[in-house]
Amino acid sequence: MALKTWALRKSLWVYHVNTGACNNCDIEVLELLTPRYDIERFGMLLVGSPRHADVLAVTGVCTRQAMPRLQEVYMQTAKPCVVLAIGACANAQGIFTEAYHMGATVDETIRAVDRDAIIMYVPGCPPKPEAMIDATVKSMELLKTL
Amino acid sequence: MGSSIVIFLVAAAGTVALGLAFKWVDRKVTAMVQWRVGPPWYQPFVDIIKLSGKENIMPATARGTGFLLAPVIAVAATAVAAAILWNGLIRPGETFVGDLIVVVYLLMVPALMTMLGAAASGNPHAAIGAAREMKLLLSYELPMLLVILVAVAKTGWTLRLGQIITAQAQAPVVLSISGAIALVVAVVCMQAKLGLVPFDLAEAECEIMSGVYVEYSGPSLAMFLVARAMMLALLPLLLVIVFWGGLYTGVWWGYLSFVGKYVLLVALATLIRNTNPRLRIDQTLRLFWFALTPVAIVALIMALVGISRGISWL
Amino acid sequence: MTTATQTDIPLTGRVGRIIEALGADVLAVEQCQARRGIARINPDRVVAVAQAMFALDGARLATATGLDVRDGIDVLYHWIVEPRPGGEGPTKAGVVVTLKALARRPDLSLDSIANVIPAANWIEREMHDLLGVNFRGHPDMRRLVLDDSWPEGVHPLRKSFDQVLDRPPLPPNQSPPDLTQGQEGQR
Repeated sequence: MALKTWALRKSLWVYHVNTGACNNCDIEVLELLTPRYDIERFGMLLVGSPRHADVLAVTGVCTRQAMPRLQEVYMQTAKPCVVLAIGACANAQGIFTEAYHMGATVDETIRAVDRDAIIMYVPGCPPKPEAMIDATVKSMELLKTL
Repeated sequence: MGSSIVIFLVAAAGTVALGLAFKWVDRKVTAMVQWRVGPPWYQPFVDIIKLSGKENIMPATARGTGFLLAPVIAVAATAVAAAILWNGLIRPGETFVGDLIVVVYLLMVPALMTMLGAAASGNPHAAIGAAREMKLLLSYELPMLLVILVAVAKTGWTLRLGQIITAQAQAPVVLSISGAIALVVAVVCMQAKLGLVPFDLAEAECEIMSGVYVEYSGPSLAMFLVARAMMLALLPLLLVIVFWGGLYTGVWWGYLSFVGKYVLLVALATLIRNTNPRLRIDQTLRLFWFALTPVAIVALIMALVGISRGISWL
Repeated sequence: MTTATQTDIPLTGRVGRIIEALGADVLAVEQCQARRGIARINPDRVVAVAQAMFALDGARLATATGLDVRDGIDVLYHWIVEPRPGGEGPTKAGVVVTLKALARRPDLSLDSIANVIPAANWIEREMHDLLGVNFRGHPDMRRLVLDDSWPEGVHPLRKSFDQVLDRPPLPPNQSPPDLTQGQEGQR
C-alpha cells in the first residue's frame, strides 16, 4: 500500500475540465507546463482522457449545462483521484452566485455523486501557478494518509 | 529447455527495464530541448507502478474480451520478439530459419492489438484512432519490409538473424549505398512504428483525446505503455542487427560500438520527435507510399545489381 | 417613446443620408451625429428596412440587441456602414446606425430577418431564449444559450424575472455507478 501511494504521489496525471470559466484560470493551468514552472519535473503530465487522470483540474463556475457533465467526467475518472477546484469561481462561484444560469457549486456537484471526494480549493482570480503547485504538493501530502 | 525459458524471462524483463529507461531518455531530451528540467530517472517506472494500482474501469459500451485481452497479447508478443532478438544478438549460432519473419510479424502485433482494443472500446474517439492506426499500419509496413529485403539480399538471401549477423562480420550492410538508403528509410519507418511524432496521429493527444487509449485506465493502460516501451527498445535493436552488424564480440570495441549504435538510433528517434510537427493521415500515406516506397525499391534494385555484378559497395 | 417627426433633428452627413434613404419607414430620429445615428423604425417593415440597409455599399449587421421596456421589447439592429475602397472617394471610416423596432406586449412578435440576413439567425434564437421575443418566420427556432433542463416560457433577462427567487430547479444529478459488481465498475 505504501508503494501504491508513493507511486501515486510521484506521478500525478492531470486532466483539465472547464465548467464555464472565463479562460483566465485555464491559461494559468497551461502555464504550469511552460519552462518557468515545469511541473513535469514532479512527474505531472497533462493527459487527454479523464480515465488516465489522477487529478481533475476544474476551472469555472459550474453552470447548469456543465453540472451533469462534470459529474459524468468525475465518475469516469479512475479512483483514487483528487479534484482541484481552481479559482474563485470554482471554489464558490464568486461574484456570479446569483446569476440565472448557475448550477450547484463545483464541490456540491461532485459530492452529490461521491460523498468522499477529495477536493482541494485553490483561491485566486486567477491563482498564481505557485498556488496551484502548492495545492498539488498538499494533495500529495494528503494522499500519503490514504 | 530450461535455459530457453530463463533466456525468455531475462530478455523480456530486461527489455521492459531497458524500454522504460529509453522512455526516460526520450522525456529528458525533450525537456532539455524545450529548456526545461525533465522528470527524474525513475519516472517511467513510477508511472507503470501507479497505473497498476488504479482501478481498471471497463466502460459499459465496451466488448469485454477484446478490450481486456488486447494489452495482454501486445505485451506477450513483444516479450517473445524480445527473446528472439536478444537470443539472436548474443548467440548467433542458435537461431532458427525464418526467425526474421517471426520477429517482423511479432513486432506488428502491438499495432494490431491497439486497433483491436480501440475498436472494442465502444467510443467514437477510439474508433477514429483505430481507423487512423489501420491506415498508418498499411502505409509504413511496405517500405519497412522492402528495406529489410535489401538487407536480406545483401547478406546472402538468408532469413536467419544469426546468419545475417555473421555475414556482416566483414562489413555491415550500412556501408554500401543501398544499405545506407535502406537504413534511412528504416529509421523513418521505425518512427512511425513507435507511434512518435511526426506520425503519432493515432494517439493524438490534443485532437482526439488520446484516440486509441481513451477508454483504458489502470493496469490495462499500464500494459499498453509497457508494450510501447518494449517496442522502443526492440526496434532500434532490430535495425542494428539487420543493418549495422549487431554485436562484434571479436574486438575490444565491439560492445562499445554496439551500445553507441543502439543509443544513437534511440536519440535519433527522440530528436526527430522534438523537431517536427505532426503529419495528417493523407500526408503520411503520401510520404510512405509515394516517397519512401520508390526509394526503397531503388535501394533494392541497387542491391540486386550489386550482388549480380559482384560490386559490394552498391 | 417620442413621436417627433423627422425634421426635429437635422439629417446631415452620411448618417443623415442613410436615414433619409429609408424614407417613411423611419418613425423618429433620436440621434444623428457625424458617425453615429439612432432611429426608430416601423416594426411591421423590419424585413424591408433590413433589405434596404443590406443593399448599401459596405453595410453589415454588427449585432442585434433586445431591451425590456414598459411597452414591450425593443429590438435594436446595429448596422455598420463602411464603404469599401473604390466606392465613393477614398476609404472613409465606418458609421454605426442603430435602428430600433418595438415588439409590443402581449404578442412580442416581429418578423424575422434571418431569411434575408443569415447572420441574424443565432442572434434571434438567443433573443428568443433570453427575452421571449417571437420572430415570425424564423427558419430554425431552437434553444441556443439556455441549457436543456431550463423550462419553456421562462425568460431570464426580463425585468420581471428575479435572478435568485425565480431560478428554476437544478438539473437532476447523474446516478453514481452501480458498484455491486466488485472492483470493476460499469462506468
